[in-house]
Order: sequence, then structure tokens, then C-alpha cells
Amino acid sequence: MGKPFDSALIWGFLPTLVPYLVVTLQILAVSIVLGIIIGVVAAIPRLFRIPILSQVVIIYVSFIRGTPILIQMFLVFYGVPALLLLFNIDVSKVDPIYFVMITYALSNGAVFSEIFRGAVQSIDYGQSEAAYSVGMSDSQNFFRIVLPQAIGVAFPNIANSVIGALKDTSLAFTIGVMDLVGRGETLIASTAHALEVYISLSIIYYIVVLIFEKAFHVFEKRFNRHKPSTVSAV
Amino acid sequence: MTIDIPFIWTALNEIVKALPVTMMLTLIPLLAGFFIGLIVALIRVYEVKGLTALANGYVSFLRGTPIIMHIMLIYFGLPLLIDTFVQNVGLESRSQLIPISVFVLIALSLSAGAYLSEVIRSGITSVSKGQVEAAYSVGMNTYQVMTRIVLPQALAQSIPNFTNIFIGFLHTSSIAFIVSQKELTGAANIVASTNLKFLEAFIAAGIIYWILTILIEGLSFLTEKKVTAYTRGGVR
Repeated sequence: MGKPFDSALIWGFLPTLVPYLVVTLQILAVSIVLGIIIGVVAAIPRLFRIPILSQVVIIYVSFIRGTPILIQMFLVFYGVPALLLLFNIDVSKVDPIYFVMITYALSNGAVFSEIFRGAVQSIDYGQSEAAYSVGMSDSQNFFRIVLPQAIGVAFPNIANSVIGALKDTSLAFTIGVMDLVGRGETLIASTAHALEVYISLSIIYYIVVLIFEKAFHVFEKRFNRHKPSTVSAV
Repeated sequence: MTIDIPFIWTALNEIVKALPVTMMLTLIPLLAGFFIGLIVALIRVYEVKGLTALANGYVSFLRGTPIIMHIMLIYFGLPLLIDTFVQNVGLESRSQLIPISVFVLIALSLSAGAYLSEVIRSGITSVSKGQVEAAYSVGMNTYQVMTRIVLPQALAQSIPNFTNIFIGFLHTSSIAFIVSQKELTGAANIVASTNLKFLEAFIAAGIIYWILTILIEGLSFLTEKKVTAYTRGGVR
């Protein structure tokens, strides 16, 4: 076992762990893309006040925001196979990574639907009236006037959620997914140097989050380039 | 495998016994985190020399890494630090005697501190500068301005954000089950594996968390109405 704490190991572990970042980012990418689709679909019933469907969305969003992601993951992990078995589909040999992707997509979908709804509603209705007054159709108004501004409003919240979702993926190892933390756990099992592994993992997460934050900052500037730069009074 | 609906009720009764542990793992870190967050926020607002860089690094690192990392780093790192220190002093190492929940509480308090410092900071900056100037002009000192003018408004302003963090940490406490804490998720896991009814146990745990969250949201709504009462009824 050697020394109880060996700081050289922290750097030694990095090359072993970094390749598994791909798995983590894969989970993130799939769940974000699916989450955006779910979020758009879920935002529509509430924006257009469609009865029944909007109540369903309210319950969905409330449940996702009311329960820990860990519980949601266990529910999908144990619930989806049970559900599919009713239709005689056996998924017992499916890689758990798909259950993680489903969980995070559902979770992101609820968050995104609220972000999209808030963003669209934040656009002053006077602008839509102005668009109609110059003869734009509903879809022209939505795609040329409302949506471009709404994206700008939603972007900081989406960026926050993406970073949150990246950190949430660190729990995927609990159902046996070989992502960054999953690989870390096997490394601990073989080397018994838990602290060094977790320091390495923290460094990787921290660097990725810093890169994401920088990138989002650049994008945000681009999305809001049409806005006059406000001179703050403070 | 079919879902055993009556067992959800049985599991619910069993899991709910772990509620005090979950509340402890939520409330103590929030309380400790509030004081850490307040100090860190004041350091960053007043740009205290030497400490600002430290405070920035603390907030950035803890917000940039998953909370499970904080739990693991404290869980494995702190005993090592204590042991090294104790051995240097020449005493026998006793860190094994410290209960795991202490490490979890320390880790969660540090994370809560980082998140709450941002909430408090944004609350402080939301109070307009004119009010601070007005307070100075009638002869208040910085301490009076902070405690009588800025903080009461900043805290009222921050209630929606506090609620989010409260609910967030209620949910975060579920991670403690990974280091075998018997809180709601840990209890659900035990009920699940002893009865081999996983789905039912986690449905029960989900229901408990959901009800708690709805209660907290309702409570926060009422508090917000009370605390921001001064903003209503005026010329607005």
C-alpha cells in the first residue's frame, strides 16, 4: 500500500481517469439534447393553456423538482424494466448507462420546460402586437420576434442547468455506470488510495466546469449582441 | 415482476422513520453554511485584502465540483489530516471514533456555504446604492448600515433563492446514503434489499421527498409574504 497519502499519485491517476470523461460527456450530451426536446414539448401545453395536458406537465415538473435525482435514477433503473416486462420485453442485459441517460433527460426536460416557459413569457406582449400590426403571421411573430429574444433570456439559465447536470452525472456510478466516478471507484478498489482518486476526479470536474463557464460566457455575449450594452447605475 | 402496491405503504411507514436523520443532514449544513456564506459574501462585497482571493477560490471550487466529491474528500481526507496532526503532537490516533455523520455534516456545510454565499451576495448587491448613501448621510456607520439597512432587505430579497437551496440540500442529503448514512434514501435502500422490492421502496422514498418539497415551498411562500410586507402598501 505504501504511504497513506501520496500526492504524486494524484497526477498519476489523471491519465487513467481522463479517457472516461468521454462517457460522462456522452451522458451529458444525450440527456441535454433529449432534455431540450422534452422541455420544448412540455412547455407548449402551459404556454398555450391546453387543459389536462398542462396539468400533466405541472405534476411532471413538480415531481422532478420535488425528488432527489438519485431517487429518480433508482425509479427509472428498477421501474422501466418492470414496465417493459409487462410487454414481454426483457431489458435485464441492457447497459445501465441508458437508464442514466433516460433519468437525466427526464430531469433536464422538467427544468428546461420551466426555463423556456419563463423566457417566452418574459417577452413583452407589445412586441407581438407590433409584429401583428405590420402584418406578420403567428409563426413569423414567434420565430422572428419572440424566439430569438427568448433564447437570449433563457441562455444563462440553460448554461447553469448544463453545469448542474454535468455535476449530477457523478451519481451514475451508483447503478454501475463506468463514467469518471465509476472508473475512480475501480481505481480505489485496486489501489486503496481513495483520497488521491477523489482529488484527481475533483480536478477533472473543476477544469471541465471552468471550460464550460468560459464557453457559455462567450456564447451569451453572442446571443445578446443585439441588445444595447446597458450602462449600469451601480 | 409486478408492482406490489400495498408494500409501498409498508415501506413508507418504515422509511419515514429516517426522516429526522434527513432533516439533520439538511438543516445543520444550511445553518452552518449560512454563517460561512455570510462571512464569505461580506469578504467578497467589501473586497477584503488577501481574503478575497481565498473566498473566490473557495466558492469557485466548491461550485465547480460535484457535492459527492466534497463528501468523499472530507470523508477520506479529514481523518488523515487529524491523524497526522495528532501523531505529530505525540498522541494516539483516534479519528476512527468520529462518526461518519460528522464528516458528512462538515462536507455539506462547506458546500452549502459556497452556494449560500452567492445567494447572500446577490441579495446584498440588489439593495440600491442610494439607500446606503442615505444611511451614511444621516450618520450611520458601516456596521449599522449593514445590519439595519442592507441585510434585512437582502435576506428578504433572497428568500426564493434560499428556498431553492433548501430544497436542493434536502435532495442532496440523499447522497449521504453512499457513505452508509441511514437517512431517507439509505433507509429505502435497506427496505428495498431486505424485501427485494426495490421499485416499491424507492417510490415510497420519492413520495416522502415530494411531500417535503411541497411543504417547504408552501412555507417559503408564506414567509416571503410576511418578510416583504414592507414593500406592499406603499407607493408602488
